[in-house]
Amino acid sequence: MAAADSASAALRRRDLCSRGIRLAGKMRSDVVDLLDTYVERQGLDASASVAVVEGVPAAAAERWDEQTGTQRLLENLAAYRAFRALLAQMLEEQREQLGEADAALGRALAAVLLQVSAFAYHLEELLRLESRGPPSEEGAGPPPAPHLGLFERKLRGLGVLAQPGQ
Amino acid sequence: GGLVQSCGHIIPESPVLALGSNFTALCILNESCLDFGNIYANQIIWKIKNRVVPKEQYREINRTVSSVTFNDTSSLATPLTCNILADGQIEQNIYGITVTIGLPPEKPRNLSCIVHQVSKLTYPMTCTWNPGRHTFLDTHFRLKYRWPQESFPDCIPKDVNNSCTITDVQFFVNLEVWVEAANALGKAESDPLVLDPIEIVKPLSPHNLSVNSGILPTVLKLSWENRISAAVMKLKFNIRYRIVGDTNWMQVPPEDTASPRTSFSVQGLRPYTEYVFSIRCMKEDGVGYWSDWSEEKTGVTTEDKPSKGPPIWRIIDASRSPASWTVHLMWKALEPFEANGVILQYEVTVRAKSSLFSPLEKYNVNTTNLTLKLPNGTYEVTVIARNRVGASPPSVLLIPASNSKAPVKNVRTLPKDGKLWVGWTAPNSYVLKYVVEWCLVSNSSDCIIEWQNEPGNVQGTYLKGDIKPFKCYLITVYPLYADGQGSGQSVKAYLQPARSPSKGPTVQTKKVGKAEAVLTWNRLTVDEQNGFIRSYTIFYKTIDGNETAVTVDPSKTEYTLSSLTSDTLYTVRMMAYTDEGGRSGPDFTFTTQKFGKGEIEAIVVPVCLAFLLIVLLGVLFCFNKRDLIKKHIWPIVPDPSKSNIAQWSPQVPAKHNFSSKDQMYPEGSFTDVSVVEIEADDKKSFSEQDLKPFDLLKKEKSTSEGHSSGIGGSSCMSSPRQSVSDSDEGETTQNTSSTVQYSTVVLNGYRDQTPVQVFSRSESTQPLLDSEERSEDHAGGCDSTTQRQQYFKQNGGQDETNADRPCFERAKQITSANEGDLVGFAQLQISGQSSQLLGLGLEKNTQEAALPDVLQTSTEGQTVRPEAVEGNPPSVDEMPKSYLPQTVRQGGYVPQ
Repeated sequence: MAAADSASAALRRRDLCSRGIRLAGKMRSDVVDLLDTYVERQGLDASASVAVVEGVPAAAAERWDEQTGTQRLLENLAAYRAFRALLAQMLEEQREQLGEADAALGRALAAVLLQVSAFAYHLEELLRLESRGPPSEEGAGPPPAPHLGLFERKLRGLGVLAQPGQ
Repeated sequence: GGLVQSCGHIIPESPVLALGSNFTALCILNESCLDFGNIYANQIIWKIKNRVVPKEQYREINRTVSSVTFNDTSSLATPLTCNILADGQIEQNIYGITVTIGLPPEKPRNLSCIVHQVSKLTYPMTCTWNPGRHTFLDTHFRLKYRWPQESFPDCIPKDVNNSCTITDVQFFVNLEVWVEAANALGKAESDPLVLDPIEIVKPLSPHNLSVNSGILPTVLKLSWENRISAAVMKLKFNIRYRIVGDTNWMQVPPEDTASPRTSFSVQGLRPYTEYVFSIRCMKEDGVGYWSDWSEEKTGVTTEDKPSKGPPIWRIIDASRSPASWTVHLMWKALEPFEANGVILQYEVTVRAKSSLFSPLEKYNVNTTNLTLKLPNGTYEVTVIARNRVGASPPSVLLIPASNSKAPVKNVRTLPKDGKLWVGWTAPNSYVLKYVVEWCLVSNSSDCIIEWQNEPGNVQGTYLKGDIKPFKCYLITVYPLYADGQGSGQSVKAYLQPARSPSKGPTVQTKKVGKAEAVLTWNRLTVDEQNGFIRSYTIFYKTIDGNETAVTVDPSKTEYTLSSLTSDTLYTVRMMAYTDEGGRSGPDFTFTTQKFGKGEIEAIVVPVCLAFLLIVLLGVLFCFNKRDLIKKHIWPIVPDPSKSNIAQWSPQVPAKHNFSSKDQMYPEGSFTDVSVVEIEADDKKSFSEQDLKPFDLLKKEKSTSEGHSSGIGGSSCMSSPRQSVSDSDEGETTQNTSSTVQYSTVVLNGYRDQTPVQVFSRSESTQPLLDSEERSEDHAGGCDSTTQRQQYFKQNGGQDETNADRPCFERAKQITSANEGDLVGFAQLQISGQSSQLLGLGLEKNTQEAALPDVLQTSTEGQTVRPEAVEGNPPSVDEMPKSYLPQTVRQGGYVPQ
């Protein structure tokens, strides 16, 4: 029974990993497409430096060699939870800025938001399979949105989008 | 608070009821009405529409409440009213409710979803389900879906109740989908469907398909673009293709295109062929749906050299010259898949196999036939087809001097599936291939030969051509060996002999007898037969008799009907039968003969024989009894010569015995006595002038001592034959016939002359009379021929007294040397001489023999050959009648 559970868990894990990777790939692909649209619609320069955006966790994997799998999952989960919060904020701001006139961009942003959310769910599920359970979201909540000017907000949005695209 | 206060109400108000359930309604009366109108619950009447509900269903709960119960709501209808009988008579409505009857929703079943890709980033998901039975109520369906950690707004169908489309779904996360149906009677949910939308995607088909010919003539390269991101799904493909004009698609093996790609080289194609391509895709792992097929694109492979030589055959015409053939070589154009390009030329090589050093004859032709005149012998013919790329392998045909090899056996045909199958039994030897020849047999057109090759290992094939039904085909099979050829074996066949002949045979009689008739008919032509004639049937009948049928073998064209009734009209017709039916020809009638062959002869011959016998007997009888008959038929006539009057005239010798002419007619012994025979009934009155010419005759008569009597001499001249032959004038004959037979004593003188008593014997032939008449003609008309005049001239020469007569004067002008005259003269002499010599009759031979002598005696000395006379007998006939009194010699008179 335990063996069966273990096999089932392994299968489940493999499935989650597989789909998580593909989801990440699609997310990246969509975001790359979206970035162009976003830059165009917001009147930004594609070469604008968005290297550091406050409150946006880096999705880089430089330190993965030093971490266990669970740690990686935890970091990723925290990061995508942050992305999700940021994207939600951004989507709200986009709606205010662009209104209903650019519904396609809004839908694309919503789709990315959903994917980020889905990816976070994958990570949570993987952590559950690791018998850890996901950490509560309260602790990893997004920072309160800073009060920024319009341009900063646009630029920040670009930075937010750029992260999952890396 | 309305203007009119109701006296009661019904509970429940406007209920929605499940069909088939039970239902109870209450009618509650107001207390105020009780006091006002003495209305109580026991007076309540329930009605459905206008129909009173049976009171068994009522129940009075108290004095203000009445209930009605329905065990099955299907008997309910709207409205359900509560009524009361006021004062026991007047029915008043208290209240009414609307009853709605329906069904609770069923659980939606068969929920299924599909994600249609509509653009590169848009993936709407459409779910469909079976909504279940009709509820008769307003039922709402909702498509619900959620992630484990997140719910989404419901998808509400528009205008339909069995499908809904979620505008955008995210992949790689399991989505739980279910349908909720709800109405006034309840709510139902389908089983949930948990799926990752990526597993139910129907992607857009690849687009921008292009086809390019490759280096090889059998390869075409396809390129396309995929419209779904590789990040979303990896794709596999199906590629299908077909030859333009063909309807059947071929497919590239799926395993060759089971990985993501944007191009593929299709191999194994035919050179120089236009292909149509189409492509589709689906998720690489096969989970999901295939896209639609892409738009079709065409491409043409490049040319290649012909893959095989053209099939070749020949027709040999040896009829024109025994020593040489006219060989019609013919080959079939290669099929496109064999030609592999445009055939530019055929190269034909003919080599005589009989002599080793015979030259190779080459011909380059653009057509598919070649006619050659070749001496009889064995030849090897090769044909090569050439296109832009190269030449085909050669096709070889051996034409042997004679088809001496074993032929096929048992050639047979079988119509099958609208085609004509030909089968044969192979010879024992190894056959390289077979040639099947066929042509349509028709009277109206020549047998145009078609043919096809078949490999040596088959023993049957379908004819590849436009084989028409109801037509006769002559099919011939030739086996071809490596070193020769077998003679052709033929069979006639129909693809579909499903018709009776188009006309029947025309029958007629060849010979009709008394009890039999020989009928003949012509065979139906091939075009009329429509099938093989299996039999003929002859129907014959009399006018009022039953029809008799006789079946005749189809190979015959003649049949003898026997046991017929004689002298009877028969009607006969003939039917020709194929397997599918018969057709009658026109009716023919004939009448049998009354008598059979030989019957008439059997009657006539005995009758004739009997007649002949009777005649013979009669003749014999007459011969035996001739004396008796003669006595009765020819009575004894008294001989006038022995009469008393003959003895009575003393000047006339009783017997004429002229020994010589001189003695008979002494020169110049003319007398004055004329012997003129006058018919007893002569009605002519001779004028004096008319009778003048007779003066001479009178004198002539007198020279014969006036007594030209004697039976013998007269008999000679009285010959009827001579009389006819000597006279062409009927009048003369008539006159002759009316003469008096017997002697007459003439005692009248001529005019004033004293008559001399003479007697003369008148004969039937009356030469004298004739002479007299002719003399009369000469004298009166003066138009007698020269010959006649000549006679008179001669005659006149003897008598100067007659020289002044006009006719004689004219006669003098005519030369006496005239040859014709001489002949005529000679003839007259002969006549006279022969008469004298023979007494009876005048033999022509004698006449001819005597002629030269007479001619020699002519005064002019001219000689006329006897042949000339013989050669011109009419001149003799045309001579004046010898009955005329003639004076050949002086004073001569020839009794005729």
